[in-house]
Amino acid sequence: MSSTLKQVYINKTVIDATRERISYVFDEFENIIVSVSGGKDSTVLAHIVLQEAHRRGRKVGIFFLDEEVVYDSTIKQVEYLMEMYPENTTKLWLQVEFNLTNATSLTENYLKCWEKGKHKIWMRSKKAFAIQQKPWDEAKETIRNKDVGLDFYAVLDNFENSRENTAFLVGLRATESPNRWRAVSKNPGYKNVFWCTGKKHGNCAFYPLYDWNFHDIWKYIYDSQLRYSKIYDYMYKKGMGIQEIRVSSLIHEKSFKALVELPEFEPDTYNKLLKRVKGVSVGNLYGKDSKMLKVSKLPKNFRTWIEYRDFLLATYPDDEKREIFAKRFSNHLENRYVARQQCRQLVLNDIENNLPIDNKPDPRELTLQKWRELL
Amino acid sequence: MEGTTIIIETKKGDIALPLLEVQIVDINRVQANNYNPNAVADNNMALLEESILSNGFCFAVVTIYDKDIDKYIIVDGFHRYSIFKDYLEAKQLPIIVLNHDVTQRMAATVQFNRARGVHQVELMGDLVQALVQQGVEDADISQRLGMEEEEVYRLKQITGIAELFKNQIYSKSWGMVEVNEND
Repeated sequence: MSSTLKQVYINKTVIDATRERISYVFDEFENIIVSVSGGKDSTVLAHIVLQEAHRRGRKVGIFFLDEEVVYDSTIKQVEYLMEMYPENTTKLWLQVEFNLTNATSLTENYLKCWEKGKHKIWMRSKKAFAIQQKPWDEAKETIRNKDVGLDFYAVLDNFENSRENTAFLVGLRATESPNRWRAVSKNPGYKNVFWCTGKKHGNCAFYPLYDWNFHDIWKYIYDSQLRYSKIYDYMYKKGMGIQEIRVSSLIHEKSFKALVELPEFEPDTYNKLLKRVKGVSVGNLYGKDSKMLKVSKLPKNFRTWIEYRDFLLATYPDDEKREIFAKRFSNHLENRYVARQQCRQLVLNDIENNLPIDNKPDPRELTLQKWRELL
Repeated sequence: MEGTTIIIETKKGDIALPLLEVQIVDINRVQANNYNPNAVADNNMALLEESILSNGFCFAVVTIYDKDIDKYIIVDGFHRYSIFKDYLEAKQLPIIVLNHDVTQRMAATVQFNRARGVHQVELMGDLVQALVQQGVEDADISQRLGMEEEEVYRLKQITGIAELFKNQIYSKSWGMVEVNEND
């Protein structure tokens, strides 16, 4: 017998439905933590949750994993969220050392944010109230990828595992991240709640904004007169499509394009970043260049993507890391389509495989073959 | 710098002032270098023309003299030169002549191109606001600042992104229900 999940509309607005969902989580869990990024979605989520906490005279944790190399506007936004209902808020601002991939430099593949001994060049000093030591037992620390060590997601895992019977609320939306949504909503994670993932030690991650659309988020922000990260206004004024705006780490392989605009948005942040991280000016100058970091056009001195890939691999400055790429690529098909993606991984230092290779025959070959058969 | 008599003293030494040695030469004696990587988009060429028309030619074209071909080769100012020669069909051009070898010239070109600022978005917005308050029309701002009207419109909005959504209505909520595939 097979059954599938089907999407059914309910005769309620997303805001009313979400207030009920959050109320349910408050009924079921004593410990509640909202994860915030400084972005628009988590701003809305934190506000709705804090209102409920205020009504009930309860406290919730506002959790921010501080990657150090972020917009100053992000920091201001998180400060604002943590001060919105101080009597209902436990500040969980985590500032610990971990590895960020640096997409902009070939010699500095990782940046250790908040690295010990480098406090003189940290983007900001640590906050007095922040959690400055890992709140988990280092002997039991888990990682996801041994080549990378303790990265963003591993820190989240360890932080979650340091708690028990806690509801973690996350601002995931189905329309924005359809793949992730499908993955997390496959099975009910808690009782019969499908907008939820079960975790260790009785913890659960809930996604109460799952059915919100883009305009719902902004309408809520407008109606509630909430502050939001200035980056959204800057980027809008620069003529960016408002749907593509993100507020994430500035040097990640999915966000380094932000460096192109950074001097126009936050010159001070950019100047600090120049001192802090190698390769920042490369990201700034070439972040949108089709031949450099985007890797969408073949540089003129190479005839094929395969040739370019072999060149990049042979000249990769770090032997150990080169082996990781060579090993990974040995499992791939050998064609131009795959080679272009491999070039992109090499140029962006994607040791973690965050930009996975679509390993399939070159679609161009198939088209050519079809024509050959026709002609 | 040869022939330069006036200098300005600084804590890092005397600074030459080639800007005081401007010459007006026949524009046909000036030519582009073959390495300049700088490209100026068409809309900014129009802005440069507008700038030269309303402000005059404020910065001489920087060159070196190549005695083998008896021409002045541009180090900086190729686009100003193009505006004068092709857009405005001028017969003469103001230049200054440096005494650089080829390495120094290439470095100078990049220094001139790159060592410049960008406009902070927020302050650019303030500037557009100020022009609006001085009674300048959008179309006029657009022409003078070399912006599309869309950019002027966006910079004019002080209220920000959220304001754009105030008249929207909330979406209908949905849930997931399990259905038997035979249904």
